[in-house]
Amino acid sequence: MYPVALSEIIELFEFLPEVERRENLINYSDAAASCGRKEGETYDLEDVRKDEECTDTVGVYVRIEDGDRVHFAIELGPKVQTLTKAMTAILCRGLNGCTAAEIMAVPADFVPRIIGAELVRLRSQTVYYVLGRMKTAVKMFQDRRRAQQA
Amino acid sequence: MNPKFSAYATPDILVDTDWLAAHLDSPDIRIVESNEDLLLYDVNHIPGAVHIDWRRDLNDQTTRDYVGPEAFADLCRRHGITPDTTVIFYGDKSNWWACYAFWVFQLFGHTRAKILDGGRDKWEEEGKPLTRAVTSFKASDYPVPAKRDDASHRAYFQQTLAHYEAGKKLVDVRSPKEYSGEVTHMPEYPQEGVLRGGHIPGAKSAPWARAANPDKTFKTREELEAIYAGELGLKTDDDIIAYCRIGERSSHTWFVLKYLLGYSQVRNYDGSWTEWGNMVRTPIEKGA
Repeated sequence: MYPVALSEIIELFEFLPEVERRENLINYSDAAASCGRKEGETYDLEDVRKDEECTDTVGVYVRIEDGDRVHFAIELGPKVQTLTKAMTAILCRGLNGCTAAEIMAVPADFVPRIIGAELVRLRSQTVYYVLGRMKTAVKMFQDRRRAQQA
Repeated sequence: MNPKFSAYATPDILVDTDWLAAHLDSPDIRIVESNEDLLLYDVNHIPGAVHIDWRRDLNDQTTRDYVGPEAFADLCRRHGITPDTTVIFYGDKSNWWACYAFWVFQLFGHTRAKILDGGRDKWEEEGKPLTRAVTSFKASDYPVPAKRDDASHRAYFQQTLAHYEAGKKLVDVRSPKEYSGEVTHMPEYPQEGVLRGGHIPGAKSAPWARAANPDKTFKTREELEAIYAGELGLKTDDDIIAYCRIGERSSHTWFVLKYLLGYSQVRNYDGSWTEWGNMVRTPIEKGA
């Protein structure tokens, strides 16, 4: 159902005590800074924008390798909330290298299993935002490729 | 004292970042961070600060109400706060939740309380120290307050309805498009369950952000008076209710009106638009 790497992260978080869950989320949040573009790398699609649903600009960069293996780089503006930063690092680690079909099939129901009931709030819906942006970028790339092939 | 503060109705209700930096180790104060970003305190915070989460610590989720006197006393005890402790509140989002937490402390009569002008953003911007280390304080024996004094600071739906029917002053602090009814949520936020867009009939629009400078500090008294007395025509003895969507932005305006400008009768309608906008057979008004 979930890609293996994402599944492992979900399983890690799911049974953590609240204090350790928070510590791990902070560690992932710290790691979000390393999810950005790497010097010298080129990308097949760039989707950089500031949406109403998120507090700052989010840039999603997609590179396709080995036919249809998707690799993401994601850059976040400084005002993006901590949970969104954490989810960015989790998703980059959990989805990089998956196929486009695998990414598009990932359901969002894993999010509460990672962040826990205490942190699931109406005002923290941006934790779902990054997954949506990643799927949108993949779909944009697929649509563009189909148009080029037609 | 910061010269800007001396012009306010209650000059010592604010502290500035330099004052706080010089008093971090004072045993008489407790620094409290309250944020919208749920993990921001865990990332780092002002040394010695404790965390009060608006929903977990201040709300009773079952009754959509605030905690009672027992739970408030427990909260203070856990953080080593005594009735003599001066609590300094600060947080993200221009101190929305700091003002909200401050307001809840007033419901329980803890008047030794202040706001850090500029909040977390200004502290960070100035490169002042932040830490991830959590300080534990010896539990206090904070006495259980006799009651929660909602009457002085808080307006319920029925009181707000009567207020509107009497033609008294209502201040809508939401964004202009929320006020007009064009949208039912503020930019960058999810829809929080509101069925209708618009405002309470007769309410004047004064978005909370007009009271804040770009560095998140409060505007000067003169600038604030130009908005609330000049544009809105509020008089210092008016009976005023401020509201937003769930009561946090209006806590900011409540603080400005009551402590910085000295309005004597100001209440925060925390049910706000998520209650009024959904209430059956309750009138609303649309348009700017």
